[in-house]
Amino acid sequence: MPMKEIHYFGIRHHGPGSSRRLLAALERVQPAVVLIEGPADCSELLPFLASTGMTPPVALLSFVTDEVGHSIYYPFDEYSPEYQACRWALQAGADVRFIDLPVSVQLAAAVAEAGEDHNADDATDDAGGENRDVESTDTENPDTENTDAASADSQALRLDPISVLARLAGYDDGESWWNHIVEQGADDDPAVFTALEQAMAELRGAIPDDSPREVQREAYMRLQIADAAKKTDGPVAVICGAWHLPGLKAKVSQKDDKARLKTLPAKLPAKRVNSTWIPWTSPRLASGSGYSAGVSAPMWYRHLWRFGQNEASLVRWLALVAEQLRQAGLLVSTAAVIETVRLCHSLAVIRDRPSPGFEEARDATIASLCGGDILWWQQISRQLLLGSLVGEVPADVPLAPLLDDLQQWQKKTRLKSEALPRELSLDLRSEPGQLKSWLLHRLRLLDVPWGEQTGSGSSRGTFRERWVIAWQPEFAVQLVENQIYGSSLAQAAAERTIEKMRSQRQLGELAKLLLAALEAELPQAVEQGFSLLAERAAHTAEGLDLLDGLPPLVDISRYGTSRNLSLAHVNGLIERLAVQASLSLPVAVRQLNEEESTHYRHAIADAHAQLELAQVNDSVMEGWWQALQEVMHSNLCDAGARGLASRLLYQAKRLNEDRLQQLMARMLSPANPIHEAKGFFEGFFSGAAERLLYDPRLRQLVDDWLGSLEEEAFIDSLPLLRRVFSELDAMERRRLLDALHAGEVRTSTAFAVNESLASQWSAHLQGLGKLLAGDKQWMN
Amino acid sequence: MSDVLRQPAEVIYQAELDALKAEDQGQKPENWQMTPKSVVKYLLGGTTASGVEISPKYIGSRRLIETAVATLATDRALLLLGVPGTAKSWVSEHLAAAICGNSSRVIQCTSGTDENQIRYGWNYAQLLAKGPSKEALVPTPLFRAMESGSLCRLEELTRMGSDVQDTLITVLSEKMLPVPELNEVVFAKRGFNIIATANNRDKGVNELSSALKRRFNVVVLPLPDDMEQEIEIIRRRVAEMGQSLSLPVPESAGKEIEKVVTIFRELRSGTTLDGKMALKVPSGTLSTAEAIAVMVGGLSQAAWFGDASFGAADIGANLLGAIVKDPVQDKLVLEEYLETVLKKRKDYSDYYHSINELL
Repeated sequence: MPMKEIHYFGIRHHGPGSSRRLLAALERVQPAVVLIEGPADCSELLPFLASTGMTPPVALLSFVTDEVGHSIYYPFDEYSPEYQACRWALQAGADVRFIDLPVSVQLAAAVAEAGEDHNADDATDDAGGENRDVESTDTENPDTENTDAASADSQALRLDPISVLARLAGYDDGESWWNHIVEQGADDDPAVFTALEQAMAELRGAIPDDSPREVQREAYMRLQIADAAKKTDGPVAVICGAWHLPGLKAKVSQKDDKARLKTLPAKLPAKRVNSTWIPWTSPRLASGSGYSAGVSAPMWYRHLWRFGQNEASLVRWLALVAEQLRQAGLLVSTAAVIETVRLCHSLAVIRDRPSPGFEEARDATIASLCGGDILWWQQISRQLLLGSLVGEVPADVPLAPLLDDLQQWQKKTRLKSEALPRELSLDLRSEPGQLKSWLLHRLRLLDVPWGEQTGSGSSRGTFRERWVIAWQPEFAVQLVENQIYGSSLAQAAAERTIEKMRSQRQLGELAKLLLAALEAELPQAVEQGFSLLAERAAHTAEGLDLLDGLPPLVDISRYGTSRNLSLAHVNGLIERLAVQASLSLPVAVRQLNEEESTHYRHAIADAHAQLELAQVNDSVMEGWWQALQEVMHSNLCDAGARGLASRLLYQAKRLNEDRLQQLMARMLSPANPIHEAKGFFEGFFSGAAERLLYDPRLRQLVDDWLGSLEEEAFIDSLPLLRRVFSELDAMERRRLLDALHAGEVRTSTAFAVNESLASQWSAHLQGLGKLLAGDKQWMN
Repeated sequence: MSDVLRQPAEVIYQAELDALKAEDQGQKPENWQMTPKSVVKYLLGGTTASGVEISPKYIGSRRLIETAVATLATDRALLLLGVPGTAKSWVSEHLAAAICGNSSRVIQCTSGTDENQIRYGWNYAQLLAKGPSKEALVPTPLFRAMESGSLCRLEELTRMGSDVQDTLITVLSEKMLPVPELNEVVFAKRGFNIIATANNRDKGVNELSSALKRRFNVVVLPLPDDMEQEIEIIRRRVAEMGQSLSLPVPESAGKEIEKVVTIFRELRSGTTLDGKMALKVPSGTLSTAEAIAVMVGGLSQAAWFGDASFGAADIGANLLGAIVKDPVQDKLVLEEYLETVLKKRKDYSDYYHSINELL
């Protein structure tokens, strides 16, 4: 009777408790073949798991080679039962195989659905395709298009019924529930698996019909199991998600199962599907990262796997928490950790739990270690719970998808990887030019500088981009390192840019990243960038930062208009930044040192120029003018800023000459401290020295001021004067000098004939006559 | 009917406490009146096995109350932190009532509180007549709580001077109180513990020393996170206060409450309600209690000085006072909020104008 030899093990995906039970059970059963819920056509990749170069977290990745945006990931960490079962089988020399629907079929379904979408919605572009890509990065079940709440619930139930049961029981974390309910006191493994199976049978009885795909998957698995049982002599172990257990054990004739599989889409030809192992990261195992079968806290699960769930491991965990809190800057004493352990136990009693679990540890940590301040917990929780582990994959694993994607792009854009630098001029109005530009921009965002943009400053806003491209061999390696961000260039570039944006605190830099994302056509990153920008803008009180944020934003706005992009929120954001900058400016420019003053002057001048270009709302501009007025009039403000503000107002004819003269006279009067006067002078004239040429009254004021300086003060001011006057070219300097001397000449040169020189005049005239005649002896 | 203005919690809710005690099963910490689980139920409400309805005393996170009760079940002291108007004292009173049946062992800490009010005082007539003796000693609520193994409540812990606060350290860590004058020591009986409350916005008044802080488990009681709940609390309190102050509460008050709560919540949380725009947060608390005060102030202004209508004109000045606590920083925050948010909302234009006028 071959049926007797089949052992079914329902597991919780990524459940450390499950893994431990499973390994014990496998030891006991010693199966000759281990069948695992996973795509059958990826079985040949399983032996890689035993390789020493393989360090989890890793993911099995399958993707369609000729179409962007269809891929399936199966991530594993060391605590995943499937991973442990594979390792066990490979070490014990047992056969190991995946038995679920092949990826070629799953991907075929995804492609077909995408096609329907495409017909339904003609406007599907690259961006749409990428979005779908994110949606379908789902291990268990790539067809997650139904988003209504009910189906989301049943989806969660299928993926991780344990967690759903745990939540019903008031637990936040499925593993605590597993530990308390499933494992408590049950030393014999079969009892655990039987209990779980009964629970699942009850659950499935209560849930309405399975989706057709679920039925097909189970039918396929049943057929595979029967086939394996027939071909093997020894015991067979079947490892699947607990949910599927009753389905797989159901007695269904093979004929019926085969009939069910008839409606499956035709599988994609082998050359259109590629599967490989790629490194994964611990944060991406978390359910919060968009991975629907993920766990809440990967690092906590890792801890449970390594140290079990007992008193010693709880203490170890709390010590780890304390360590992280200390690194974050909170003073945590050992005594406080001891109290935390006690509080954990007392909380467990109140909550009727046999032993403290994750929630108890968290709540006790907040009350006892963080002084009730949840912010401390939030500060460490990301690093603590999600970690930053990156897996490794041995070198002999087949080609990584990013390189693959790059090859596709190279074919599409006809760009060859040449080592010698070559110039490339792109016309962004044509499709090939546009594609090339996107490719190069995206690669740059991935730190693969294949192309260097030249003359970027002048080309912006026009339809032309100039690049110099040169391929270096190490680019391939750099590209592979980006795999953790996504499987296509577009996705990886977007993810990576978003990550950079998140860590960027400076508004100006953030806006530059946003512009880069726009140029690389990464809509997700752009959207993220906008929301981050809005958020940062609200929280920054730093005047300089606000001013710095304006110019790139105006660039973005102009970029948008020249390409017919709807960037509706940009203008809103510009106006908002302008309002904020206007409000904060008069306070921001107080008490600056010389260096800060220079920074502020540059920032104000840039922001002003851009604001005039951006054609913002009148009321916003009015606010800006008012801010400048306020700066100009306030004695508390930095003199340089006041000088600049008065010039900007004067240029815009918002300050009439008389008032300006009055102000300047006051600022440059000898009673004022010399550094104030210098500051004002520099603020007003740097960048506008030619004012001195055209405005005699100003010139006179400056002249008087310089004349009134003590010698020492004058020498001190020389570098400043040189800075300002060197802006004038030789011709202008000459005119300035002329203008200054003009007055003196007129007054002092009243001509009078000097009789004593009359005799010399005739001699001079004679000499001149000789010279004209070409006589070289003319001096005599 | 007694002529006491306000009865303590254990008297008002005696029926509920008795019902819980009657059905209590399981182990109780020594000198507790009921199990920790029953205490949690008493605070959060529910029904007992025999169907007695237990009214909820605190509406909010279950986790926090569980942590608070668990803390008291260990021998660590409990500190309830929160901005004004977050039911700290209320929770502390009910915890004491449920755990030891006596919520009246209270010390109100002020800057004038000295060690004699914490440890013990002396009856000076007795002291002079008989010298230091047990009869001449005047026990404090803390002293009595230690002797009887019950809970002592300290209200507004951070209001008293740091030197006085630190007399609690020995009591908390060694559970004893030496009386050097008599060469005696009072050892706390089992069941003794302390519930302190403190205002976490009053930082810098008398910051808890880290030695003392370390001896407390801290539970922070948050502001209500649900808008409807907050509006309801305010509506009820405003109606009550209006009655006691003989102020008419007009029909339109409900609408204005909603707007004030919206403004408060947006500024408090630093984002607009639709989550689309981030905002700066002013330095003030903007607690529910303050929103109540703004509304009552507005009502009073409308009743005594205003015309028949009640609206932004009456509330504006109070609102300004509640938001602008720091004349430079907060003014900027408010200006920005007015310009970037309120200006664009049509139905808030009266608020925009009335506050702008006052700025």
